[in-house]
Amino acid sequence: MTILHERPAGAEPEFGPGRVEPLTEIIPGPRPHGWVRFITSTDHKQIGLNYMVTAFIGFLTAGLMAEGIRTQLAVPNNHFVTLDTFNQLFTMHGTIMLFVFLGPFAFGLANYIVPLQIGAPDMAFPRFNNLSYWLYLGGFLILLFSFMTNNGAADFGWFGYAPLTESIHSPGPGADMWIIGIALTGFSGIFTAVNTISTIFCLRAPGMVMFRMPIFCWNQMVTMFLVLLAFPVLTSAMAMLWLDRHLNTHFYDPNGGGQPILWQNLFWFFGHPEVYILALPYFGVVTEVIATMSKKPVFGYKGMVAATLSIGGLSMGVWAHHMYTTGAVLLPFFAGMSLLIAVPTGIKFFNWIGTMWRGTITLSTPMLFCIGFLMMFLLGGLTGVILAQPPLDFQLHNTYFVVAHFHYVMFGGSVFVVFASIYYWFPKYTGRMLDERLGKLSFVLLFVGFNLTFFPQHDLGLRGMSRRIATYPDNLGYNFLNLLSSIGAYITGIGVIPTLWNIFRSLRHGKIAGDNPWDGQTLEWATSSPPPEHNFEALPPIRSERPLWDANHPDMLTQAGH
Amino acid sequence: MSLLATQLLGATNFGSPSGVTKQAHEVIRLWRITYYFAIPIGLLVIGLIVWCVVRYRVRRGSTRQPAQFQYHIPIEAAYTLIPIVIVGIIFGFLYGAEDREDAVAKNPAVIVHVQAFQWGWRFIYPNGHSQVGDVAEEPNINDTSTLPILYLPENETVQLDLHSDDVVHSFYVPEFLFQRDIIPGIKNTVDFNITHTGSWIGECTNICGTYHAFMKFRVNVLSVADYNAWYAKQKPGSVTNSGRSVTSYSSDTGGNS
Amino acid sequence: MKYEWKVTGGAAAFLAATGLLYWFTSYENSGTVMLGFSFAAYGMLGGFLLLCWFRRKRIPRPEDNPDATQEDGAGEVAFFPAASIWPAGIGLGAIFCAVALIYGNWYWIIGLPLIIGAVIGFTVEAESGLDQVDELHAEAAKRAAEEHPDGTDGVHESHAEHSERS
Repeated sequence: MTILHERPAGAEPEFGPGRVEPLTEIIPGPRPHGWVRFITSTDHKQIGLNYMVTAFIGFLTAGLMAEGIRTQLAVPNNHFVTLDTFNQLFTMHGTIMLFVFLGPFAFGLANYIVPLQIGAPDMAFPRFNNLSYWLYLGGFLILLFSFMTNNGAADFGWFGYAPLTESIHSPGPGADMWIIGIALTGFSGIFTAVNTISTIFCLRAPGMVMFRMPIFCWNQMVTMFLVLLAFPVLTSAMAMLWLDRHLNTHFYDPNGGGQPILWQNLFWFFGHPEVYILALPYFGVVTEVIATMSKKPVFGYKGMVAATLSIGGLSMGVWAHHMYTTGAVLLPFFAGMSLLIAVPTGIKFFNWIGTMWRGTITLSTPMLFCIGFLMMFLLGGLTGVILAQPPLDFQLHNTYFVVAHFHYVMFGGSVFVVFASIYYWFPKYTGRMLDERLGKLSFVLLFVGFNLTFFPQHDLGLRGMSRRIATYPDNLGYNFLNLLSSIGAYITGIGVIPTLWNIFRSLRHGKIAGDNPWDGQTLEWATSSPPPEHNFEALPPIRSERPLWDANHPDMLTQAGH
Repeated sequence: MSLLATQLLGATNFGSPSGVTKQAHEVIRLWRITYYFAIPIGLLVIGLIVWCVVRYRVRRGSTRQPAQFQYHIPIEAAYTLIPIVIVGIIFGFLYGAEDREDAVAKNPAVIVHVQAFQWGWRFIYPNGHSQVGDVAEEPNINDTSTLPILYLPENETVQLDLHSDDVVHSFYVPEFLFQRDIIPGIKNTVDFNITHTGSWIGECTNICGTYHAFMKFRVNVLSVADYNAWYAKQKPGSVTNSGRSVTSYSSDTGGNS
Repeated sequence: MKYEWKVTGGAAAFLAATGLLYWFTSYENSGTVMLGFSFAAYGMLGGFLLLCWFRRKRIPRPEDNPDATQEDGAGEVAFFPAASIWPAGIGLGAIFCAVALIYGNWYWIIGLPLIIGAVIGFTVEAESGLDQVDELHAEAAKRAAEEHPDGTDGVHESHAEHSERS
């Protein structure tokens, strides 16, 4: 059975609550519900939700692993878990957070929000979309079940430096499951990228020219460009590793003439764009939330697009700044490129501030999470400038300073925006609002807990505590800071609970949201909540980056000039 | 104000060791330069964010309308160009610092061959004497007496040849403010000019398997006279294994090969 | 198409420049090869879009025209298959094949037939879907003929025309 999407002919549709002319012609067929719907649906909204819910389960799983890591490190000379278990915990914490949670959550947002924001009826390839979810879920399950194998899960860190990953150093199926699980999520990412780019290129509504797309769509597009370049490299690196382990090739094995440094080049050629794959979509969400909550157009829209594009471009040329200490890379090239990324990131910051300037800012929960993001990502960015300098990286590489920097970027940055996106778009997903009080409680706990966890880790790194050590002696001055960090980790863990309860409760009892609870500016708010199959009953005329605002506030159009 | 804060914070190094090698001075200098830029910029941006949120938040009963401007080219150009200049300045400083830190002397006073393996260290001196220490089962992390010891002279150019037997390790002494990966198949050589005598703990910073956390060593820096005296006592080809025979700093200088 | 090819072509140009700069400053193989392939990937995409842009005689599509109204985009947008079990079948087969790579060749026996079967189902379903589209077109044409006997209704384009549009 098939659905054919049509746009109406005839008179210019009048946009208003009374209009109900259907945009979609639907061939009769089964309308599945429940589990069947979950498995077979090709609706981008269903698949987007599947992605996001699965990714959030990944977040909770890997979060529990993090609590285990912090419990082990709370006091010196601790024996909460064995050494091997500790190695497995941090490896799978990193792997699941990056490959199962942050990336796929952004893919979920791309699935749900991008077609709505550009006025498309669905993604370009709905069935491939469905398939990519199953590959992703399979990858997640394989990663998760690797804990149940006889040697346990992979235990060589999330970037798995060869030759530690070779079969003589890491025997057993755990490492294989790590390889295959990541490869599956990689394929899923590639499919999603192709789908999103095609959707953005070919399914925009009439009048939605590229330079009227919301910044979120631009960012998703650049992200998907990066996915297309990065994930194939990762997948082929994984394939070579698999060949090394099973068919006795020697790509990375120094004893057979292979080069361990090749793995590092391949992995980081994927790995650095990956960091931006995990950050750019969330920058987009922040832009949307700040503009909506300040009731203003995005300040410096074109500069913002240029900044996103240049971050995407530059991120392809900085992979070896993870390899400064190998002594085998060209330092000035990578240092220069890495420092340059600070410039477009700075532009984004000032544009966000400019968007708030002279606006009317509603301090709702999503806005609070975004302000938290601004502060913490700023710190992560500044420590990034420090780490981009080879001499300073020689001191700090692989210490807790890097851990702190990374978490300020990925948790203080992206995860906070994950929460912002949940609070911002939950009304669209379900038709009900989330409770603001519980949301603010969640924000305060997460903000305090997060900073308590990771700020002391800067200092630990400066004192020379290296990352991934299972325990530490009591006479090096690490004790108090580690205890502080672990307490912070527990507070962060508790901070997630109000949001979970909020979601659970609001699904049934939340306030009815209506189509446009935040006085939104972009097209996703122009349809009902949740949107009908194939999304739109009618579209407002698209004459700027915020068509819905123009329709709702004809007296407050974007000022021309400058 | 922010300059004062910069000076204060710069002077404390935020808990970082202040560095005991000539090379580390480059690092400390670069830290200062980074602080001069990063701390004012950080304070400025945080200040702007907080000011915006406080000043422009919606108050009850307020009828203020949001402004609807979108572009302001001069300001946008300013915050594009000024960061480029700052980045250029930082790059200029780091370019020289990095060259000086990585420079390798042609005729160093001492060359020590450092071999890292799962999980321990072997320090081989020119006469074939080696200091070894390894971990085979989980020891007490607080027990530093079984660590292998790297003896080095003060105020001389010391060259370390880094070599790995198996997987990727990393040579890191926090007080040197320096680390270098030890990768099979890659020849890495580093120079130090240590300016203080003393005894510090070094470690492997790259995850290398089960006992990664225990793969530590001790660096003992002696005055040139003491070092020569110690070195003269080591028989060529002898092995001091601190992993198995428990030795302390004083008894070890006698060697127990 | 105009901005699309500019963005992808620009990305290709940037990657080419970076690749050249990288090669002539470092003479390092792996990075240069990867940057080269990245350039090729985006060069291909950008070139294709440029080709489309010229084949359209640089006439903007409704979504590229800033003054377009909803009416300009009237007609068939695309063909969207509804609920389908086959992607899940392919996914399950792929997971079994993945497990075969971990635990041994045994699992191919389950995985490969699943994938092959599901791919066949997937394709056949698309065919029948297109049949239904044709039926729908015929119906719509009949309806249009009844409503507009003079035959002025040009809303429904044929498949061939449609595929050129994008």
